Amino acid sequence: MPEITDKPKAVQVRRTLGKGVLNRGDRLFFGITSAASYFAFILVGLILVFLVAQAWPALQEQGFAFVYGDKWEVSEEKTILQIGPMLYGSVLIALLGVLVATPLAVATAYLIVFILPKGLSKLSTNLIDLLAALPSVIIGLWGVLVFTPIAQGWAEFLHKYLGWIPIFSTEKGTTTLNSSPFIAGWIVAVMIVPIITSVTREIFSQFDRDLVNGALALGATRWTVFRRVILPTTSGGITGGVLLGLGRAIGETVAIYYVLQLSMNINLFQVLEPRGGAIASWILSRFGEATDKEFHGLMAAGLVIFITTLVINLIANVIVNRAQPWRK
Amino acid sequence: MPEPRPPKQPWNKSSKLASFAGRRGFADAVLVIGSLLLAAVVFSLLLSVLWSVIVTGSSAIKPQFIYQNNRYISTTTSLDYGGVGHAILGTLELVLLATAVALPLGLAIAVYLTQSQSKLRNMVRSITQALAGLPSVVSGLFVLSIISFLGAPKSGIFGALALFPLMLPTVARVAEEALRLVPADLRLAALGLGAPNYRAFFQVILPAAKTGIITALLLGLARVVGETAPLILTIQANDGTNLNPLDGGIATLPTYIYGFISAGYASSITRAWGASLVLLIIVGILFVTARLLTGEKKKKKSKASK
Repeated sequence: MPEITDKPKAVQVRRTLGKGVLNRGDRLFFGITSAASYFAFILVGLILVFLVAQAWPALQEQGFAFVYGDKWEVSEEKTILQIGPMLYGSVLIALLGVLVATPLAVATAYLIVFILPKGLSKLSTNLIDLLAALPSVIIGLWGVLVFTPIAQGWAEFLHKYLGWIPIFSTEKGTTTLNSSPFIAGWIVAVMIVPIITSVTREIFSQFDRDLVNGALALGATRWTVFRRVILPTTSGGITGGVLLGLGRAIGETVAIYYVLQLSMNINLFQVLEPRGGAIASWILSRFGEATDKEFHGLMAAGLVIFITTLVINLIANVIVNRAQPWRK
Repeated sequence: MPEPRPPKQPWNKSSKLASFAGRRGFADAVLVIGSLLLAAVVFSLLLSVLWSVIVTGSSAIKPQFIYQNNRYISTTTSLDYGGVGHAILGTLELVLLATAVALPLGLAIAVYLTQSQSKLRNMVRSITQALAGLPSVVSGLFVLSIISFLGAPKSGIFGALALFPLMLPTVARVAEEALRLVPADLRLAALGLGAPNYRAFFQVILPAAKTGIITALLLGLARVVGETAPLILTIQANDGTNLNPLDGGIATLPTYIYGFISAGYASSITRAWGASLVLLIIVGILFVTARLLTGEKKKKKSKASK
């Protein structure tokens, strides 16, 4: 016996645009646009396939130790390719960068949206977006010649007064505190501040002003409004922006290549010590004189970056899109 | 008996600073001053980059630096000879080649996202966003693996191919926003008059979104014009002028800068600063033009709504 429901079958009230009866021109029009859109999937697939194909010989030979081991030896008789310290260093630098960039970016976004007058906030927004457009090779040049001497002073200060904290300690015999993960973290921060700022600014600017005014009317101060009203409702979106920055930081190549001393001797937490790792910069540094086997190893390193950043970005975008419903 | 004091009148203190008084005001002051300080750090970093590039770079720039190429120039040659003319041409060529593919494709994706009713739109949007986070070095390695698969010698066309995946998502996203700004009524009116979708797009929506599309193009260009890592991996350097993308090495501004920093001599680094200034000017022109166009667009829009 068929089940009886009191819901009438939905009546199609209007033709769905782009579907149903289409003439030949429209079929071609939507055919081309859909083909272009599916190409985006194909492109990601192609990148994956080509990288895997080139990385496979190295991955097969090195096994899982490729990811966590810490030897990179290329000689006639044997080849050991392992990127553990570089992978770890990339994560460490990205985390340092995020740690520096997040407060800077949130404060800048707060200033732009809630405090500055309209003209100034527009100017600041444009300046921040310009910072995002600066090529990383220029940031690298600036980083090694202008910023490093300054940051070295900061590092010496930190080491002198807070050296008893393990992360600010250095090994015996270290005298100059440059080319460290600390400096690389700052350089990465310069590059991801605009990303986090623009996501946060967008979320702040769509924030319901009635909530702010209501809280103020109830006697809240600026601080309580920020801490108890704005931050709790926007923290999800800010997290998404931070993740986007993290993805960018892990893939950063040229700028870090200049400011960091790459070393396979792993640097676990001594951020002022002049050695560290960055997987993308490692690829750049080894690429020139790479042997055939090493070439496949570098491809495998690229594959690791690709998968890591793809996963981070997909998660970040889900979070950001959920926090910005007005964009749909 | 002394006269009672007049009661305090806190409402008289209407000046802005007064709101920072007291324990509650203190937290506010910390918030405002703290965010000012943190933002000051951001802006001083930015200005420091701009300032050092402009000041140091301008010392390298003489007229011949803009139009000469680098043939017969070593890393220690005096700055009176040689320049980045070949690199400017090479950069423009590669970027335009990348644009020739990325612009139509990005526009088509934007059209798909805004005009069609397909259920896959959200997935397409997600994958485009994910592509936007593609590290540039990975794009370079991807093309490098194509080169090694084909067994072809490195040449300019591969550099353009490596820039393309980086440019596509930017163009698609900005173009999508531009198309979204066109009132839906315009399109519906065209369709209501019997126009097929493609004519509604080419004759009504595209002209209305023209400046937005140009903005998408400019921001896409600005995104890739300074990309270094993919070019280092996929093209060969060249000191002379070579405009053939299918054969031989080709010079670009980012790889020129990279090469001269790596050389490490004082004069070579000054050359790198000079080339950085040229690159910065190109990025700046693209960026400012894009902003001016969007600004005009918004003004027109707000006038129309009044």
